[in-house]
Amino acid sequence: MKISNDPEATLVTYSLGSCIGVAVYDPAAKVGGILHYMLPDSGLHEAKAGQNPFMFADTGIPRLFKTAYQLGARKQRMRVVVAGGAQILDQKGFFNIGKRNHVALKKMFWKNNVLTDYEDVGGMVNRTVKLEIKTGDIFIKVSGSEEKKI
Amino acid sequence: MISVQGLIKEIDNLKPIPQIASRVMKMSEDPECSLRDIADVILHDPLITANLLRICNAAYFGLPRQIDSVQDAITLLGLQKIVDLVLLKCCTQALGREQRGYGLHEGELWRAAVASAIIARKLSEKEGSQSRQLIFTAALLKDIGKVILDRFVADSFRQIDDYIRNEGLSFNEAEKKSIGIDHAELGALVAKKWKLSPKMVYIIKNHHMSDESAKQDFETSVVYLSDTLCMMMGIGGGVDGLAYRFYDDVLKRLNITEIDFQAIMADFGENMQKLDELLEVCE
Repeated sequence: MKISNDPEATLVTYSLGSCIGVAVYDPAAKVGGILHYMLPDSGLHEAKAGQNPFMFADTGIPRLFKTAYQLGARKQRMRVVVAGGAQILDQKGFFNIGKRNHVALKKMFWKNNVLTDYEDVGGMVNRTVKLEIKTGDIFIKVSGSEEKKI
Repeated sequence: MISVQGLIKEIDNLKPIPQIASRVMKMSEDPECSLRDIADVILHDPLITANLLRICNAAYFGLPRQIDSVQDAITLLGLQKIVDLVLLKCCTQALGREQRGYGLHEGELWRAAVASAIIARKLSEKEGSQSRQLIFTAALLKDIGKVILDRFVADSFRQIDDYIRNEGLSFNEAEKKSIGIDHAELGALVAKKWKLSPKMVYIIKNHHMSDESAKQDFETSVVYLSDTLCMMMGIGGGVDGLAYRFYDDVLKRLNITEIDFQAIMADFGENMQKLDELLEVCE
């Protein structure tokens, strides 16, 4: 996870695969952050979640928001962009981590009244997410295509 | 369509892996060969010895003192790790370059190869396999075909992408349909040319399970699974993305449950930084 209020900073998370990248930005406070999590639920791996909470949706997402709040961001002003959660061809059920990662996020956002501004999720492609703190511009690049400004 | 014969000729232009690597690979697959025999071969190669000492003295390994002989390195790190490092070092050049057709920057194919080899090693240890070294090396070399197919993929990308989007083909199936051969088959031809063992050739050829019978093969299944996990973690993710087929029966046959599957990802995710440090010292 990376959070910043440095106008010179550009935050990037590369090649998400089945992982999910969540970018948040408050244009008034000029604070933004990106979380890159890998798995939906820390319950199976509590010890690991203690050491690296950013690896899981349920422990990473609250930290992303709380840390942004500490730097002055407010939920009602925040722009939220979600990308990733790709799946392998024919991947189903429990092994479809990409889909489960996305479901975990949707549930948490629903419970906490967080609305997403843009989502680019699923499919079989790799995505990279970039956030410029100065402007709040968020870009998504799918491997093999041009970078897209959201 | 490009002639497959023409493509095969390209294999001759590929710089082969150093002789020491193919020797160590062969020895590590031979049940008659002890680790001690392998150590002897390493000790008699001055270039690899010099490289090994430099690598082992890097802060990454955190050794308590400066080492100045391969014997020392073996004592402190264990022979298994030394053999792994020889193989890693020897394959850097073959896999290190940018693969523009696959959308991989310099070092990305190499990073994915090493990650896959490390995961495959863990899986084979979990299963108590006797062919750990074979599995490690096969995971490391499985995408060698991409190095040659790269520019042909670049030329045919639109068509490949169209086959994936509109006909539901996987990336390797689309490669075969567009170019006449896929990177796994081509990789197997490279391995054959380099005189690697028939088993190694088989695993490389089937690492996407193009042949149904490969699902029954333990070593191929482990390499397949490690590749799948890397794709999901976005390691080595290029234009092919995750467009390969997933076979849950392979996982079932390996007794990999949902919890195991996630635990491997969590373990590896935790050590991602370590992977980059290892790659840096092996450069």
